[in-house]
Amino acid sequence: MARLRFALRLPSHDERNALALLAPLLIVLAVVAVFPIAYSFVTSLYDVNLARPLRRPFVGFDNYLQMLGEPRIQIALWRTAVYTFITVVGTTLAALAVALFLNETFRGRRILAILLLVPWATPSVVNGLMWKWIYDSNYGVLNGLLSALGLIDNYKIWLADPDKTLYLIANAAIWKQMPLSAILLLVTMKSISEDLYKAARVDGANVFQRFLHVTLPALRPGLMLVLVYETMISVRHFDLFMLLTQGGPGNASSTLSWQIYVETFRSLRFGTGSALAYILAFVTLILGYLMIRLGWRRGKI
Amino acid sequence: MKTSVDRRAVLAGLGASASLSLLGSPIDPAAAAETINYTAWSAAVDQVQSHIHAFQKATGIAVNYSNFPGAQFRATLVTKFTSNEPLDLIWMNDAWTPEFVEAGWIAPIDDVPELMKYNDDVRKYCVDAMRYKGRQYGLVYYTDHMSFMYNKEMLEKAGFEKPPASWDEVVQQSLKLKQMGLAEFPLMLALTADAWLIEMIGPFVYSFGGTYTDQNGKSTLRDAKNGALAAATWMRDAITTHKIVSPGAVTTSEIDALKAFGAGKSAFAILPSYRIRVVNDPAQAKVAGNVRIGLMPAGTGDKAGNYTCGWVRYYGVTPHARADKNRQAAVMKLMEWFGGKIEDKYVFQKMLLLDVGVPFCTKSLMQDSDVLAFYDKWAGGEGTIVKQASLAVTKDVISPWFGEWNETNNQSWQSIFLGQSTPAAGLAATGDKWDQLKKQFG
Repeated sequence: MARLRFALRLPSHDERNALALLAPLLIVLAVVAVFPIAYSFVTSLYDVNLARPLRRPFVGFDNYLQMLGEPRIQIALWRTAVYTFITVVGTTLAALAVALFLNETFRGRRILAILLLVPWATPSVVNGLMWKWIYDSNYGVLNGLLSALGLIDNYKIWLADPDKTLYLIANAAIWKQMPLSAILLLVTMKSISEDLYKAARVDGANVFQRFLHVTLPALRPGLMLVLVYETMISVRHFDLFMLLTQGGPGNASSTLSWQIYVETFRSLRFGTGSALAYILAFVTLILGYLMIRLGWRRGKI
Repeated sequence: MKTSVDRRAVLAGLGASASLSLLGSPIDPAAAAETINYTAWSAAVDQVQSHIHAFQKATGIAVNYSNFPGAQFRATLVTKFTSNEPLDLIWMNDAWTPEFVEAGWIAPIDDVPELMKYNDDVRKYCVDAMRYKGRQYGLVYYTDHMSFMYNKEMLEKAGFEKPPASWDEVVQQSLKLKQMGLAEFPLMLALTADAWLIEMIGPFVYSFGGTYTDQNGKSTLRDAKNGALAAATWMRDAITTHKIVSPGAVTTSEIDALKAFGAGKSAFAILPSYRIRVVNDPAQAKVAGNVRIGLMPAGTGDKAGNYTCGWVRYYGVTPHARADKNRQAAVMKLMEWFGGKIEDKYVFQKMLLLDVGVPFCTKSLMQDSDVLAFYDKWAGGEGTIVKQASLAVTKDVISPWFGEWNETNNQSWQSIFLGQSTPAAGLAATGDKWDQLKKQFG
């Protein structure tokens, strides 16, 4: 009864004022976020092909089933999983190493920490173009370096090798994403009490034992944050694929994000393209949920 | 360059008098007051702009010219049509005709006798390329085909007096060129998965006597006797077994191939014939003066020959342009200004050839002394180009579902080149997709 009374009562003066102040923002959010999201979901339930504007039949969840049943999408899902695994593990390990290094006291540490942020601050497109140059088969720095070191006889056509493409893209992604993760881990490390290390030393723990039994457990909240964030980013990665390989050669670097682009903007099938986008969003959501649940249970983040 | 300036000066002068005779009827002031939207891909921009300027001066009709990157042009047009943008005159690819007609985005022009009269002077295959279900949808912008270009100097160094006549000879000559250290990968191919790929593969499929579809429009790619299978096998072997084509070809675009061939990195290249001007221009290519065009080498098999892949680009009008009488008259005038004659001269077609090297479909222009001089200067004569043009085959995949199918087709061929799938399996995959889409589209 009390709840009903609450529901039926008119908003107070303060509440009306608050609503009036929030209204412009709510309208903007509704127009730029809520409506497009809802509309794209509705689109995913229709057979929408821009090249066939005279027909738009309702197909329900057929677009989802059709996409999940297609071998190219299954391959893309697998490649997305592999790419995400390589990128997340690579970024986290590199970030951990850099954070441990910067946690030590040495001259120039602050400048190094600032310089570390340069790759992260570089715009994604610039990063992609830079790596395109680095990997170029004719004048790329990678070939030049390996050749100068005597590690290769002939210049390699890196991005045309379907066995290496995904790793090369992951490498470029790690370079870009590692700095932010390193800073996040460094901040967490700084919060670890020095008393814990002192106690460990008293117990006779060596440097590796101190890392395993003090640093790593204390880092768990930061690590979980990095893992969740990097997974969310990597699953949806698109810019490097667009700039470096366009999903090729063949389908060697065709991930789910790339397939969404192909389906929507090349094949102009907005229905199936939207369905794929929702599949990707669902995968991202599930991964994020599982990781947070896992971290919550074990690390109490 | 001076020739070009002179032609433009003449053009401006011609404009005023020509405007009164175009299409027979005088221009309605209401039509002149409206702006015509002219949408094209980003090619020959300077030439187009100068020609529009002359048109506006001559007719008083305002033209809003906008151009977009070629690679995204189809998607750009589709988006514009879907959002009901008032487009009038557009550049069209013959591969898009069925799709655009079925969508109601372009309108036929065969009820306009003033434009249809040009058909008599246009090669038949060009007219056919603009037709769909018995109606004609435009006036030719340009036509071209894939050419087999070779570096004469490099071949002479290797002791070859003639270019290869068959794909087997291409292998033999290439292996010798490799052996002599003249080129690491003697045959330059652009096989990246973009809009050009089907036209790069076309010369191989057709010169091996292959097809994509039969007379009923059903895929023939699963047929083991189809020349397409022999072509795919040859291309895969050229990359993986003979190593006469770089494995990097799968990431090489047409423009990259042009640059590399122009820099002397290979002895042979498959490029559009209009590129002959660039590769023989000392200001643009290191190999200038040494590049010649040979007939496309022939494959093996009963139906094999020196065939290549040809295409037509044309000016199309939209239903929006035809909805209003005055607008329609103005758009038709603009279309004729570009695709037809001004004062009895094919001004724009000739300008495109002389300035950019882009060929035309008009038969009578081949007798023009400037045109003949152009081919003498840049290609060592017009003979081979004309003969190759007569052996050009229009892609037998032009359908409403072409754009969608081509995504799968590109990926399947790349998988073959990379050895990820056998030629038979790769072709079966693209053939299956074709039949699936054919069924879907009814």
